[in-house]
Amino acid sequence: MTGPVIGFAGMTHLGLNSAVASAERGFDVICFDSDADRIAALNEGRLPVVEPELPEMFARRHARLTFTSDAGLLKKCDVIYVAPDVATDEKGASDLGPIRALIDLVDAAMAAASVLVVLSQVPPGFTSGLSRPLAARYYQVETLIFGRAIERAMYPERFIVGCADPAVPLPAALAAYLSAFECPILPMRYESAELCKISINMVLVAQVSCANTIAELCEKVGADYGEIVPALRLDRRIGAYAYISPGMGISGGNLERDLATFNSFGDALGTSIGVVRAWQHNSGYRRNWALRTLHATVLSRLADPLIAVLGLAYKENTDSVKNSPAVALIEALQPFHVRAFDPVVAPREEWHPVLTASLDPMAACGGADVVLVMTPWPEFRGIDVTQLAKALRGNVVIDPYGMLDRRSAIAAGLEYYRIGVS
Amino acid sequence: MLSHQNAHPEKPTRVVVLGAGGVIGKALLKRLKADGIAVLGLGSVEIDLTELAAAEELQALLRADDAVVFLSALTPDKGRDIATLMKNLRMAEAVAAAVAAVRCKHLVYMSSDAVYPFGGGTVDETTPADPLDLYGVMHKTREVMMMSAVQANALAILRCTLVCAADDTHNSYGPNRFRRQAAKDGKITLGGEGKETRDHVFADDVAELVRLVLVHRSAGLLNAVSGRSYSFGEVAHVVAATFDPPAEVSFAGGGGAVTHRHFDATALHQAFPNFHFQPLEAVVAEVHRRSAGRGDG
Repeated sequence: MTGPVIGFAGMTHLGLNSAVASAERGFDVICFDSDADRIAALNEGRLPVVEPELPEMFARRHARLTFTSDAGLLKKCDVIYVAPDVATDEKGASDLGPIRALIDLVDAAMAAASVLVVLSQVPPGFTSGLSRPLAARYYQVETLIFGRAIERAMYPERFIVGCADPAVPLPAALAAYLSAFECPILPMRYESAELCKISINMVLVAQVSCANTIAELCEKVGADYGEIVPALRLDRRIGAYAYISPGMGISGGNLERDLATFNSFGDALGTSIGVVRAWQHNSGYRRNWALRTLHATVLSRLADPLIAVLGLAYKENTDSVKNSPAVALIEALQPFHVRAFDPVVAPREEWHPVLTASLDPMAACGGADVVLVMTPWPEFRGIDVTQLAKALRGNVVIDPYGMLDRRSAIAAGLEYYRIGVS
Repeated sequence: MLSHQNAHPEKPTRVVVLGAGGVIGKALLKRLKADGIAVLGLGSVEIDLTELAAAEELQALLRADDAVVFLSALTPDKGRDIATLMKNLRMAEAVAAAVAAVRCKHLVYMSSDAVYPFGGGTVDETTPADPLDLYGVMHKTREVMMMSAVQANALAILRCTLVCAADDTHNSYGPNRFRRQAAKDGKITLGGEGKETRDHVFADDVAELVRLVLVHRSAGLLNAVSGRSYSFGEVAHVVAATFDPPAEVSFAGGGGAVTHRHFDATALHQAFPNFHFQPLEAVVAEVHRRSAGRGDG
């Protein structure tokens, strides 16, 4: 028996990774994007995003993947996922215009008996508001994590599917496709599924906000948050995978979007959103942890410091800089000389007029008064702190994520600052 | 929370300082003159802003290309009652009428951290103003009055925390009063246990901050705070250590509820990356140096 043909419309981060993982799972996949240049690049094997395992899997499953800007090919699909990344503004508000246009385009091109599934992040009420017949439209929660997109697409914990009537069995093609991933399938109302996506992210934000809040107090009272974390994880009510590592605010755009969407509904419908506003405020406050530390330790002491920044992406294993703490830091350092290194992100002049790109971490640190390790790229763990101490002109290391060994750094004569440690 | 209308610093044509005889006013005049900026300083001797004719008198003195710095206020040591509140609002009424009539290019209003309530951890510019007393209400009301007088892109509001200066006359609780006590009696006696925390800034640094706001023609809201808070006990010990022999520090004990105030100075760092308030130890030492030979030490 031949499996259903799966379509993905919108070849940005979500759509591309989901499509490649589907091919890995054994399905023939038609990948559509109206941007002919993007499709041409994909056909030449050039990937627009950075994700671990994506290049290898893309190469391995190329024969099952058809990249096209011809919407007519979508007629061959049994199930079509509409999966463009939905752009957000500075406040996290979504621009739904492009996804509506794409849905209209796909709807017009696809076969009448095929199933359309909205995979992008959309607000509650979006899917039920579409004009396509109820029985042929679904919403599915995506749980993409930047830097782990392939892993998440290949091994989802569960599928959450929004339907017109959860009591009615899913269409055979969709059920066959989802079953191949061997995880629970949770059908629910459209609105429940759309809000479920937001709910997952809100719980994650609540956890990380809690971690940030505790970590800051640790810095003031002689505690080490790193010592507290294992105890929290062993508590069954919290759990081994809880989002309790402190950081510099929520970034990447997706969590911010869901908070903004929730607040928008709360404002309009009169539900309590004070705690969400507090999370947002905490996020903004945490984003400037490194800037505050830098002012207290270097900028208030030295007139013309040379500053080295390691890491520009908002987190490791991604090229995304959306709401990146590193970028926010660099933008606030306009009068100073800054050298930066990131394994995949090139420094941009729009961030800082005299931002210098370095070829490797040590080149960035040579002669610098301070180094800030702003992205937890795994390779930064390999930095030799003795060499670092020799390379620096000053001795201040601001390492929010603890990529360097604190004891070794202090032993090497460095003044070391990390989130959550006094 | 501040946006700069001048991408590069540019001297204003003229700065009119209202409240030129006060602690910040004197420091600001000195700083602006040192920078070669034309300045007209007006104190209560030159113009009594509480008078009915004040608006017209001030209007006659102002020009459209002026930057006006509004520092004048009757501080709590002059009165904490409703009558003082109303006088302060009359002053603001006159200033608002004059700057609106002349359409002054830039207005800097010196507000106070008294607009914020105590408690709640760290205060920043997004913290809701919810004043606890008439002095705080006065400043919040004046802020809104200034907002009604000029366009948003022509108004900078600075919410200043406790100011330390050699020539301070307010004798408010904190380093100024402590050093007077130490100079007079050789000891500093604190109410309660000295645990309450506050932020303290040097008048000369506030003047420099205002200068930066003027040359950048900044607009918006900024807390004029160092971001470092000290307990009054710590402040007393810092002040005591400037005397030889060090002044004795004692605590009266008792007292009411202990309140704290901590600020997040990130917005200041973002607005003026090169500017820093001096730490308390340096400020107290400088005040001590300047006060040497004066009656208070």
